[in-house]
Amino acid sequence: MNNKNSNSDILVIGAGIAGIEASLMLSKSDRKVHLIEKNSYTGGMSIKFEEVFSNMECSTCMISPKQQDLLQDKNINLIMLATVEDVKGSPGDFKVKIHKKPRYVDMDNCIGCTACFDPCPVSIKNEFEEGLSTRKAIYIPCAGALPNVPCIDTNNCLRFQGKDCQACQDACMFNAIDFNQKDEKIELNVEAIIVATGYKLFDPNNTPHYGYKKINDVYTALEFERLYASNGPTQGKIQLKNGKTPKSGAIIHCIGRDKQGYCSSVCCMYSLKFNHYLKSKIPEIQIFELYTDLCIPGKSHQKFYEKIKQTGTTLIRATDIKITQQGQKIAITHTDEKGKKRNIIVDMVILSPAIVPNTDASQLANILGITCDDLGFYKEENQNISSVVTPKPGVFIVGCSQGPKNIQETVSQANAAVGKILSASQEGING
Amino acid sequence: MNNSSDSSEDKGVVIQVKNTQKETVNDFLKKAMEQGVFDAVLISVKVPAGDSFAYVLLTDKELLKDTFPLPPIMSVQGAKAISSITRRGKGNKKIAAIMRPCEIRATVELTKLGQIDLDNIVLISMDCFGVMPTPSFIKDPEKSLKKFEDAIRIEDDTVMRPVCRICDKSSMVAGDLHIGTRGVQKDAFFIVSNTKKGKDILDKLGLISNKNIDTWLAKVKENAKEKQKKRKQAHKDLQSSIKNLDKFLDTFSHCINCHNCMRACPICCCRVCYFDSDKMKHPSDDYLRIAKSKGSIRFLPDTTIFHIGRMVHMSLSCVSCGSCEDACPMSIPVAQLFSMTADETQGLFDYIAGKSLEEPLPLTTFIKEELSEVEDVHD
Amino acid sequence: MDRKIGVYICECGPNIAEKIDIDKVIKAVSPLDDVSIATRYKLLCSEQGKKFLEEQIKKNGLTHLVVAACSPRDHQHTFMTICENAGINPFLFQLANIREQCAWITENKEEATNKAIRLTKAAIGRVRYHVPLEKKEIESNPDVLVIGGGIAGMEASLHLASPQRKIYLVEKTSQLGGVVTNLEKTFPDMQSCPKIIQDKIDQVTNNDNIKVYTNCEVTEILGFFGNFEGTVTQNNNEDKTTVGFNVGAVVLATGCALFDPTDDPNYGYGKFDNVITALEFEKMNLAGNIRLKNGKTPKSVAIIHCVGRDKKGYCSEICCMYSIKFVRYLQNKIPEIKISNFYTDLCLPEKSYQKFYEQSRGKKNDFIRIDSIKITNPGNKLTITHNDEQGNKKSHGVDMVILSPALEPSVDTKKLAEFTRISQDDEGFFAEEHEKLGPVTTSTEGVYIAGCAQGPKSIQNTLIQAEAVAGKILSSLIPGKKIEPEVKVAHISESFCIGCKTCLTVCSYGVITFDSTKKVCVANEVICRGCGNCVAACPSGAASLKHFTFNQLRQELKEAVL
Repeated sequence: MNNKNSNSDILVIGAGIAGIEASLMLSKSDRKVHLIEKNSYTGGMSIKFEEVFSNMECSTCMISPKQQDLLQDKNINLIMLATVEDVKGSPGDFKVKIHKKPRYVDMDNCIGCTACFDPCPVSIKNEFEEGLSTRKAIYIPCAGALPNVPCIDTNNCLRFQGKDCQACQDACMFNAIDFNQKDEKIELNVEAIIVATGYKLFDPNNTPHYGYKKINDVYTALEFERLYASNGPTQGKIQLKNGKTPKSGAIIHCIGRDKQGYCSSVCCMYSLKFNHYLKSKIPEIQIFELYTDLCIPGKSHQKFYEKIKQTGTTLIRATDIKITQQGQKIAITHTDEKGKKRNIIVDMVILSPAIVPNTDASQLANILGITCDDLGFYKEENQNISSVVTPKPGVFIVGCSQGPKNIQETVSQANAAVGKILSASQEGING
Repeated sequence: MNNSSDSSEDKGVVIQVKNTQKETVNDFLKKAMEQGVFDAVLISVKVPAGDSFAYVLLTDKELLKDTFPLPPIMSVQGAKAISSITRRGKGNKKIAAIMRPCEIRATVELTKLGQIDLDNIVLISMDCFGVMPTPSFIKDPEKSLKKFEDAIRIEDDTVMRPVCRICDKSSMVAGDLHIGTRGVQKDAFFIVSNTKKGKDILDKLGLISNKNIDTWLAKVKENAKEKQKKRKQAHKDLQSSIKNLDKFLDTFSHCINCHNCMRACPICCCRVCYFDSDKMKHPSDDYLRIAKSKGSIRFLPDTTIFHIGRMVHMSLSCVSCGSCEDACPMSIPVAQLFSMTADETQGLFDYIAGKSLEEPLPLTTFIKEELSEVEDVHD
Repeated sequence: MDRKIGVYICECGPNIAEKIDIDKVIKAVSPLDDVSIATRYKLLCSEQGKKFLEEQIKKNGLTHLVVAACSPRDHQHTFMTICENAGINPFLFQLANIREQCAWITENKEEATNKAIRLTKAAIGRVRYHVPLEKKEIESNPDVLVIGGGIAGMEASLHLASPQRKIYLVEKTSQLGGVVTNLEKTFPDMQSCPKIIQDKIDQVTNNDNIKVYTNCEVTEILGFFGNFEGTVTQNNNEDKTTVGFNVGAVVLATGCALFDPTDDPNYGYGKFDNVITALEFEKMNLAGNIRLKNGKTPKSVAIIHCVGRDKKGYCSEICCMYSIKFVRYLQNKIPEIKISNFYTDLCLPEKSYQKFYEQSRGKKNDFIRIDSIKITNPGNKLTITHNDEQGNKKSHGVDMVILSPALEPSVDTKKLAEFTRISQDDEGFFAEEHEKLGPVTTSTEGVYIAGCAQGPKSIQNTLIQAEAVAGKILSSLIPGKKIEPEVKVAHISESFCIGCKTCLTVCSYGVITFDSTKKVCVANEVICRGCGNCVAACPSGAASLKHFTFNQLRQELKEAVL
């Protein structure tokens, strides 16, 4: 019996690396994909990194061909600034309601010349850059963002606050700015749903003993990634808040691990990557890595660790870490592995926080009819069947929305979800 | 042991010289043929006209007494001869080839390039004291031969070719057996084996490698060092005389595009040289367009690019044998230029052409950390 | 040759128009030979622009098209499609990037204009030597050969099998199931492995579209994506039969082996009684027979993590978890037993692992961090000696020692890698195509890897990779759909080739074979990826790359720099 649905579109939620991989793979088999992304850009978290472990490949160079393919793929309907509002129906026949916010810029007319940025009178902290630099109310989050089309932040745009301003529209030579764009409600009929909504980082404000936001030059991992990024707020120059080059730095692993109750599996590796970042820009910098257990599974990862060790980094197995300001510098008191209390003084601290679920994860779970586990990640049906399968047939969870993991595992899961969808709809197979 | 190393464990066989060195070598080869160690020998003889030398493949051991291993000129590069013999695959008979180290090295390179099958070939090299330029030799063959023999006796290389005068590999052992004559008493020479094949031959002939070859090694090392110094200086001089592109073009300005250098070169083994083919010929309108944009265009237009292209194609295997310069009717210092370039290109990969059959060609190897000095240092 | 080259310079809004004097560029290229028209346009990628170009090609009877505009990454495809629609071969087109590579990076307008002129001239110079290239289509076989009948192979087979796609599952031993058949439970859920495995075996055996061949050794794999020929030798008692398969894809799911601690003097494995490996313990536990050599029940056990980690140079990811699972096994079967786990770093990389560890700790077990360890057997009592965290020497006497060894590549990895022309990584596992984005594909198109054959991993991650492989195959090898191989491929001229095999040695994709009769190398254009390695390495100029010939590149360069 041929159970192939006349409607065979797939909904993919999230255009990060997992969502992009799944969409491209589905398109290859001639499936139509509706790829929903809540931000104005694609690429998710991975495009914030300059390099990825363990071969230090340029992250954007790795991902942007995929982003480019995505934008030119006729089978993929990319809906940006959009969220899923409602899901009804049954496996094989879901009825999805999407809420799409307007970009206020016409994607066909705009050529990405950025002439509309300068004239905008509003300047706000750029969230993509983790607040380390500013942007305008009409903006592209960073150089190289794809699609290369700005959007208007109505919360800060003067016009949308009731003031009379059309500076951006006046500057545009292509009639690309359209203040009259409206919110859209889109209804889709899909065969299956892949949830690839990613993660956020544990907020170190919840662990005040690390001094985050109280002491200058204590950065989170993402802030430091942006500092190092060549398209970031300092064009890749690693400098302290006072503009000076740090002579010493400490990278603290496992931020939030105790509170969250699990190991996020990627932080040790990216902390070692940070070591490499620092040494490559500041060869004489003295680096301390404070960790509890070194978690570096992965066949090529220990090699990388050995390489970093050889650069003279001091690795300290530490507990009871407390970070305080000491004059112009930062003091880190801790108990070392022998039980002795120690103190190190550094110029800069980088905190490697746990990977935690997105703030809206449980809300989306409700809409989709799936559940979250007690950590807040989407719950798989049974790990021993497949970690991408949920108790709701037709709804798959992939990437860090299911649990912390590295890019390789994320891509495998994205491929697996597509494998499961395509497998079930092979001709002659009963769903 | 491949060249002048100073390991005191190296031993060799001492052969006492009866009458002349040449006779004794030929005797050794005759004995080997008598005992069936090889069935034929590829060796130089003086041509009947008496004004040149050529390789012959001989099976009649009686003819060995008239042969002339390592003749005063290189009429044909020995590697080319071997290449012809196994062009269509190896034969069933064992052949011994006795030639100069650079010819042996070219043979090794051609084997790596899939052009020679060494299975039934035994390579025997001999210390080389140089080769005379062919054009000047044939002006007066008798007198030149005498000059040659005198020069060898006192190890004086002023009459030899420019590339030979700066050759530091004239005693390099790259084949199966090597006959060492440098620095030994006039009435003896060494035979050393380099491979299992070579050792088996000595065993079959009842020759035991138990004599200390230190004197020879020391002389070889000394000679190599001296030549390396001369080589460095010669290359420096050559480079400074061709320090820019215009000067380089001038060097080749009287090239007549005969491609003789390529034909004489042992490494140039292509059946159809790229530069002889239609690939370098363009539609006539294209020539006119170039002429229009530059004012005029030289014909034949691929004169210089032929040399650069040939350099790119063969430099990593160049053994500095000098055949190209001998063959050039316009006396362009091709060998000196190509030899100097080969030193540099091979030096980039720490490779010496023809030194070892086991060492793969640089283009076929991939090493992660290589040429980092020319890479953009990002991390 | 009557060429009519049309040159169109895009203003790209202010991007190019404000930074480059376009009229000057037009003036410079118009008089060139074969240029039949050179003009400017506001925005060539817009709908009007595309229409304009198509009309221009038709109206002017153009034979070649040059566009000076943005990056090929943006619109190469767009303009090639316009060529096709207008009736000229899409490869008779060249795009000069005067935006990203000129206007956007050159401040001085005069400099930028001169550079734009050179870039456009270079494109014109090159396009003269372009030749039409045609896309090809070849038939493909949707069937799959899965090598390895463990959980990865079975999972992949189950997801792939359909009436239109036959799966041939070959297994070296006499049974399906692989290493999981030796385990009692999985971690962290403590679910029954026999049930999981039997479930899979039943599904595979009952699936009409999967044919299982046990007692098989692979002897040859020839061909390429869409058209492989695999041969196995089946040993049935004394009979040996040869079986051949025609398939479109090959999956390597050959699992892994355990590091052998015999040669390591620190562990006493093979020397002392009651020092066993994890696998031996699993088997013992599954049989319900945890006993010492003398038949007695052990009262104390030491579990040593990271055995062989230093030698192998990587963490095997699952050993800490299964070592903790052993604590559960033992607590369950021998409640009074005293257990000590000796580890260097605790590796608990999944969301539920830490909880599993914390819930396994109890009064009767210790987790002790060590940096070095030695096992001795004085007076026939197994003794574990190590340094504690303060650096003091400590020793423990135990009845039984379980060693948790590293996972290493299976013995068949080298042979299979050679057959399929893929590489092994530095650790000896099959090398994936890309560490991040290509974990289950390899450098040979159509050859996939899954499970521990790719690297140590848990059952859950193995299942994921098997499903991922299925996804890859399902999306690229579609029954009835032809495969479109790459157009810009290498070609080796038979008359120029000297048979030196340099190209063969440098090809990473197994494209080149040596014809021993003609003594020349031959490139399989169907699997060639067009990387150009062979062309660069060829010492006789026999190898050339379509659309990147020596003349095309030479003309482009000449116009750009001279």
